[in-house]
Amino acid sequence: MTDNALPRPSHAAGQTQWNRNRMALLAALPLLLFLLLFFVGPIGGLLKEGFYRDGTLSLEHFRHLAVTPIYRIVLGNTFTIAAAVTLSCVLMSYPLAYLLATVRPAVARVLFFAVLLPFWSSALVRTSAWIALLGKNGPVNALLTGIGIIDQPMAFLYNFTGVMIGMTHVLMPFVVLPLYASFRAMDNALVQAAQSLGADSAGILRHVVLPLTSPGVVAGAIIVFMNAVGYYITPALMGGPAQRMAAELISYNITEELNWGLAAALAGVLLVTVLLSLWLFNRLFGLDKLISGSAGKGSNTLPAGRTPGGRLSVLAGAVSALFLVLPILIVIPMSFGTSDFPMFPPPHYGLRWYASFFADSKWLAALWSSLRVGLMVTLCASVLGTAAALGVHKMPSARKGWLDALFIIPMSVPAIITAVALFYLMAPLGWVANSVAVTIGHTVLASPYVYITVRAALRSFDPSLELAALSLGASWPSMFRLVILPLLLPSLIGGAVFAFVTSFDDVVMALFLTTIHNRTLPKLMYEGLANDFDPTVISASCLLIVATAVILVANLLLGRKKES
Amino acid sequence: MTSKLQKISYILAVATALLTGTAQAAELNFASWGGAYQGAIRDAWLKPFASESGIKITEDTDPQVAKIRAMIDTKSVAWDVVTENGARLTRGIKLGVFEKISADMVDQKHVIPGARNDYGVPSEIFSTNVGFSIKAFPAGKPQPSSFADFWNVARFPGKRTLQDDPATVIEAALIADGVAPADVYKVLATPAGVERAMKQIEKIKPYIAMWWKNGAEPVNALASGEVVMALGWNGRFQAGMDSGLPIQMGWGNTVDQVGYFALVKGAPHRTEAIKLLNYIAQAKNQAEFSKYIAYGPTTEAAFPFIDAARMQRLPSTPERMKNTLFLNSDFWEKYGPAISERYNQIRAQ
Repeated sequence: MTDNALPRPSHAAGQTQWNRNRMALLAALPLLLFLLLFFVGPIGGLLKEGFYRDGTLSLEHFRHLAVTPIYRIVLGNTFTIAAAVTLSCVLMSYPLAYLLATVRPAVARVLFFAVLLPFWSSALVRTSAWIALLGKNGPVNALLTGIGIIDQPMAFLYNFTGVMIGMTHVLMPFVVLPLYASFRAMDNALVQAAQSLGADSAGILRHVVLPLTSPGVVAGAIIVFMNAVGYYITPALMGGPAQRMAAELISYNITEELNWGLAAALAGVLLVTVLLSLWLFNRLFGLDKLISGSAGKGSNTLPAGRTPGGRLSVLAGAVSALFLVLPILIVIPMSFGTSDFPMFPPPHYGLRWYASFFADSKWLAALWSSLRVGLMVTLCASVLGTAAALGVHKMPSARKGWLDALFIIPMSVPAIITAVALFYLMAPLGWVANSVAVTIGHTVLASPYVYITVRAALRSFDPSLELAALSLGASWPSMFRLVILPLLLPSLIGGAVFAFVTSFDDVVMALFLTTIHNRTLPKLMYEGLANDFDPTVISASCLLIVATAVILVANLLLGRKKES
Repeated sequence: MTSKLQKISYILAVATALLTGTAQAAELNFASWGGAYQGAIRDAWLKPFASESGIKITEDTDPQVAKIRAMIDTKSVAWDVVTENGARLTRGIKLGVFEKISADMVDQKHVIPGARNDYGVPSEIFSTNVGFSIKAFPAGKPQPSSFADFWNVARFPGKRTLQDDPATVIEAALIADGVAPADVYKVLATPAGVERAMKQIEKIKPYIAMWWKNGAEPVNALASGEVVMALGWNGRFQAGMDSGLPIQMGWGNTVDQVGYFALVKGAPHRTEAIKLLNYIAQAKNQAEFSKYIAYGPTTEAAFPFIDAARMQRLPSTPERMKNTLFLNSDFWEKYGPAISERYNQIRAQ
């Protein structure tokens, strides 16, 4: 280590720079090749179908989309709903992130619990819980009519409200977490300074808090919007015909009508509009916000006292947290019901559906399969995403924009398109039967999350630390191990958690890319809910919640031990 | 980088080795639509067939025709026998995913003529009819029974549910508007007829609280009070009634459909599959099915094995067969996509 301690002679500097560029490219290459092979290529092949009709080149499918009113309506719905959901996620997340960042660590852990817990119960189950909660004769309406706020039960379900509630609930954690990071990075002295200079709550919010937390908001908002555009199962279950989204029609044309050409044309239109909105985001906010590090140096001290606005935010934050855990609280008693039909509260309690979970080996097999695929995906996505983030970080800035865009697009392409494209690529190889296909598919979906979080962490990383280590003679690998990795670890873990959850909760890819022998838990749950209502789905979900809770509580206790 | 790729491919290879299953001995892969329906198939046919023949049956769900097509295209056919409704069977036949079933493979001479199909063994007959909440429409007061009653919001007030898919709903809409069941497809074959049906949908739309997608939903919605009336499948209503939900159904009008067992082209266990098809076609076994779900047999030869009480629960009583309209799957294959687009548009506006 010591033999290299002296600064390098200057004539080698050009050579080193060139080497470094080549290294950067090499690091980004695996993810680039992976996406070209398993995302760009197959999807390009599928989209090509949109330009063919009965084997000849034709624009007929696009003409059909243009002249048939329903497709315009559905595309309009898709973008309206995605935008509205993004807005509502940001509004609900703001006070919660503030609360998380400004309470005592012990309280913060409990709140994190509330944010992370819903992640681990399948979106399908949460949807069932909302349907039980929000029905005409459900507990929410009973409460509202009971205390006299409304005199007729309100229609929360099968309309725009239902879709907003369902999708906000699923996607909100994606805003809370980056926003929380922004709040943590904010220097509280600035708030105190503003306060002492006579600013009121609204002024502090507008001139201090909003500008300083905007990277977190933009990052979260883009993730939510890109995700929401490709959604269809939650809106299909909680919305009505007026809330149909494009991905649902794509899926319908592929699986029911077998009109691949029309599905491909619709997917093409959706993709182009997504790219346009990405471009628009870039112009308006700068896409680099998505991967920008924390703006401030942060402060470890908690604010001395809350402003009136702060107290209001605490209340709003608590409401947001309640919103996140509410369906989970409902699911637990529901799982102890004994009826074939979902009811809340259940008329009789028993263990019937837990017995059913353990009686049929298929549930445990599916859980095992989900865990295996999820861990494999987390590993692949973490390695590919981290390497690519490191590589792009070191690149000359001209290339960055394109690669950034390419590396985050996979999460906004409706999964059904990627799934079908991958099926045709991989089924002949036997990869659908052995879980390789679903692992690759999930890695395509999950790698953007790792890429984004690690890239963000790298941007806030002080390059002089790296230079210091290298100039003190550390080799690049040991510098990476001793300097970069420890600093990246929190973001890497965050990205890995998103990656795991993406895989663990995916239904659409699993429907196409697994068979009966290796189906995942969400696929089995979907089967239990798609054609019927199998209450075992709810008990299965509760077991997952309990398992997560145990892990989180253990972590909490360990953390406390470390502190004391 | 190469070493990284090698590492990944190594990991994938290990995963592959861990995950691949085994396949030998006499077995059969069967796929249907889950829920109470597949449960009844399991109890009535699959279990006894498996113990009689020693063939191990593995069940799957969601046998979408698109998936079968993709399996055939990629030479990875996993299913041997699948169940499809008439419309899906017709679509699959067009796409060439099912094997033709000849008389020497399965003898089907005894099957009700209207239910026969060269590419499937009819498994059951089921009805779409009116289900309602007896809390909203108790005995002693007028209770809905016909499709016209479903559309009559003055006499039978309250929210309703209809299927999100237009097949059977469009037929019911025209029958409610006074078209005789026998003339429905004649009327629907003209643009004016389709518009007439769409007018009916527009008329009822404000009273539809939800558009159901799976057969359990209308029953759940009736039970929870979300709606007071539904057009749904008789077997699902019956299952709800049997488990004590406050539901009843009317038989004034019905649209009947036939369910089929079909043999997938290139099925890996073709011999075993044909054995299963023969098993379910037998009159005695046909009668078994209705013990587990209220769907009727596809052969009159099964009637002697069914007692009068059970017969009352089934769609195939002579009296009910008189008022019924059999869903025309050829019509839906031809006009389905265009009607779906209109149906979706009208409900989205």
